[in-house]
Amino acid sequence: MNRRNFIRVLSQSLLAAGLLPRRAAAAQFSEKRHIQFVFAQIKYRGGDWNPHPLSVTPLMEELMLRTSIEPATARHEATLTDRDLFNYPFLYIAGKYEFDPFTQEEIETLRRFLSFGGFLLIDDALGQQGYGFDKAMRREMQKVFPGNEFKRLPASHAALKSYYLLRRIGGVRIANPNLEAITLGNATPVIYCQNDLGGAWERDRLGNWISACTPGGEPQRRDAFHLGINLILYAMTENYKEDLIHVPFIRRRLTR
Amino acid sequence: MKELYFISSLPGWLIALVALATIALLLQQFLSLKQRLSLAQSWFLVLLRAVVYGVLIFFLLGPSLIDKRAGKLRRPLTVLIDSSESMAFPASAKAAAGSSAGKSRLDAVREKLTGGKEPLIQRLSRDYDLRLFRFGTDLEPIDATSVPQLKAQAQGTRLLELVQSVAKDAGAQSAILLFSDGIANGDRKTLEGAPSLPVPVFAVGAGEAEGFTDVRIAEVRAPQFAFRGREFKLDLTVHAAGLKGKTVPLYFNRGKNLITTRSVSIDADPFEQKIALSFTPKEIGTHSFSLAIPPQAGEQITRNNQKEFKVDVQRDKIRILTLSGSPAWNYRFLRMAMKQDPLIELVSFVFLRTPTDSVDVPDNQLSLIPFPIDDIFLEELKNFDLVFLDDFSHRAYFNPVYLDRVRDFVRDGGGLAMFGGVRSFDSGGYGESALKEVLPVELDGKGGYQSSGNIRPVLTASGKAHPITRLLPDPRINEEAWTKMPTLNGLNRVRGARGEVLLTADGAAAGAPLLAIGRFGKGRTLAFMSDDAWRWNFIAAGNRESPHNHLKLIRQMVRWLAQEPSFEQVQLRAIANARPGEKIAIKLRVLKDDFLPTSQASVQLRVIGPEGEPSLVSVSADTEGGEYTGEYTPAREGTYRVEAEASLAGKPLGKDRTSFSVAYGYGETDDGLPRADLLKQLAATSQGEFFSLSDWNEKSLEKIAARIESHAPAQITEQRQTRLWSTLWPFSLLLALLSVEWWMRRKWGLI
Repeated sequence: MNRRNFIRVLSQSLLAAGLLPRRAAAAQFSEKRHIQFVFAQIKYRGGDWNPHPLSVTPLMEELMLRTSIEPATARHEATLTDRDLFNYPFLYIAGKYEFDPFTQEEIETLRRFLSFGGFLLIDDALGQQGYGFDKAMRREMQKVFPGNEFKRLPASHAALKSYYLLRRIGGVRIANPNLEAITLGNATPVIYCQNDLGGAWERDRLGNWISACTPGGEPQRRDAFHLGINLILYAMTENYKEDLIHVPFIRRRLTR
Repeated sequence: MKELYFISSLPGWLIALVALATIALLLQQFLSLKQRLSLAQSWFLVLLRAVVYGVLIFFLLGPSLIDKRAGKLRRPLTVLIDSSESMAFPASAKAAAGSSAGKSRLDAVREKLTGGKEPLIQRLSRDYDLRLFRFGTDLEPIDATSVPQLKAQAQGTRLLELVQSVAKDAGAQSAILLFSDGIANGDRKTLEGAPSLPVPVFAVGAGEAEGFTDVRIAEVRAPQFAFRGREFKLDLTVHAAGLKGKTVPLYFNRGKNLITTRSVSIDADPFEQKIALSFTPKEIGTHSFSLAIPPQAGEQITRNNQKEFKVDVQRDKIRILTLSGSPAWNYRFLRMAMKQDPLIELVSFVFLRTPTDSVDVPDNQLSLIPFPIDDIFLEELKNFDLVFLDDFSHRAYFNPVYLDRVRDFVRDGGGLAMFGGVRSFDSGGYGESALKEVLPVELDGKGGYQSSGNIRPVLTASGKAHPITRLLPDPRINEEAWTKMPTLNGLNRVRGARGEVLLTADGAAAGAPLLAIGRFGKGRTLAFMSDDAWRWNFIAAGNRESPHNHLKLIRQMVRWLAQEPSFEQVQLRAIANARPGEKIAIKLRVLKDDFLPTSQASVQLRVIGPEGEPSLVSVSADTEGGEYTGEYTPAREGTYRVEAEASLAGKPLGKDRTSFSVAYGYGETDDGLPRADLLKQLAATSQGEFFSLSDWNEKSLEKIAARIESHAPAQITEQRQTRLWSTLWPFSLLLALLSVEWWMRRKWGLI
């Protein structure tokens, strides 16, 4: 057993025994780790770009615990005009309220980002269709991909089986039981959730959940974490789970 | 015999008038003489004058003597003897059965022409102006004495074309006597649309259709190219004669291995059946296939029971197996590059969790599939062309025996690429594995993964010319493109390189190998000492540079590893199929390790004949750089393999193989059935006649003579005309008569 595995097993044991907060466990892992994934969150003008400041770390801890990915536990805050934006192929944008329109440069950058392999997860913390963040986001995405509207993500999409076989979409509230997405060719670079995923992931510094998930409670929160992990894996493996070698296994499990 | 003819151009009435006037003149002379001479003397003189006048009037009638002589012409006769290979087939079913009377069709023709007390060829020479030819694919004049030595060896029969040509040259008075089995396999196979022949053709058919026994494979339609793993279909036709009621097996072989067997029930005579077969090749290369029916009892021709053909099996896709240690951006963009390449078929496994990662749901709520390690490494590995180990450590998953399999896979011609990361090279424990000797870098267990930024790639001298790193055709622009590539953040340090280093690292790790390539056995290997190549794609896109450099780099890596022909250092050019005896040029191109052409290489070129007999072909460098040519003349039909191997200063540069077919295009021996029908048609359309050789007798020759006679008679009558007035004796007679008259008149005192 190497050092990493030893620490991991030890941490899991302590976690299971309730002796070590999850955040502390994540800190243990971060030592001399080779970071493979950074969760980058977009800051924008107007509105509230940061409705859940503590939401990312719990998700990253979960990602580290469940998968072979070594993520940075802290998020990276980025603007669409950052020169190093393309160092972070996974972008997250969240909010509650309507925000200022993107500049033309920002729109072009985002279009280029998404067209050449980047991924954008949109999370509506308000959950009101046609109002606030939802209204602004749909407006801006129309500018990024004119004529390419959001469409409901089919249940068979690779993003819903990239790690967990998801049958439900979690979040703080179920404003929309489905995900929406913009597809370019065979890729789906933009996925939109209106259930406030960040709210479900967020935990205070003492390790307590900040928002209650309704109406499904903790299973609904667990679905939100599963979706977050699935979307990260989808961004990093594309439609890998649609390769022929996976199809019979997945079909068998889904039909059980 | 001479006959008298009057050919005067004067009208008869004028001559009659002159005669009456002459009689009147004689009467007046008689009355005048009677007064001065006695009656007898008067009669004598008048009679003399009457004879003179009579002779003159006779000449007015134009008397001529015509001498008629009957004669015979020696008419030209062209005799054509078919000496094609099919004339070596048995003349009859009896002959095929191997009886003492067994003889070939040409034997039978020779016997007719040269046998007997007075051979036919002598009689023809006597009676005709004989022009004797043997023919097959061309026409060759022969003399009568060479007929017994004639051999059936022409590789085709341009029967209709040559008869047409001979008829045109022979002249209107001639005829053609043709000895053939009627098999015509030149450009023209029927008389349909052919111009009519100006001379009669007397066709003598050799070989008997009745009792002809043969089964043959005809019209094989197989693709020249097929793709590995994809079924290809072929169609063939089985023809049979004289075998009604029999069932014969048809064997379909690849090399000497039986693929499948079919039973062919022959239920008609003549019999024809189309058969469809298929095969799925599993290995690339040129494969020889054969279709065969065993010789049947009484069969006259057995060489047409088998057909051979070649199919060049290519890969339709380069099959790649990638094993990635975890989801990562490098995998994401590697996958994107491979998925966009239509030549690549990708099977990838990404280890989404390690054995120590915990899950919070039952397995049936996870999309994870068990890694089919036994299937992949014990069964399926041979079906891949390349294996990519992408930040993948074998230690958590592999029995070491699987790495032995990967090593053997490369040694046998597969390609292996290892991409960097914390699970690769020394960090992945490969320094103690079977792949240590395979990889193009030296591993000592001490090298580690270094996560420091700003590693810029630098092209080495080899890298500047090598097709993997040549992203742009112009060397200068290519170098410039590499200087603009985004920097990398991770580097696996290795002790050194054993193969060619194409890229080194700049910055803090200056000079460290970044991209190295090598060979192991028949296969190729590549080591890329970073897990950050994705930055050359996505960050380049962000910098408004082209992400295509990354895509192209991956594609070129794949093609070089898969030994795509355009990436070979020894490249044999395709050789067109040839005919026996035809000199062919075998061309090849040789590139150095830096992929620049060289004319200094030592090239060994071998041609292996249909029976496996090898021949070394001397090769010379052309004026054009890197091009070499050798000349070879195949002696006989069959498939010839060509192997080229080049080295420079003792260092092997590579090998290449190809093959070519040598065959006559006529299919002379495919169908041995005598074509009496065609000969009959030829004879009928030319006003000639058909004879079967077996029925040939004395009367046949007489019949031919009679037909030639009716066409243009040989009997001629020669006439010689002698005009009497143009001879001396009539003039002498007149002079004598007039002299006697003058002398008598003088004697009797009239003058």
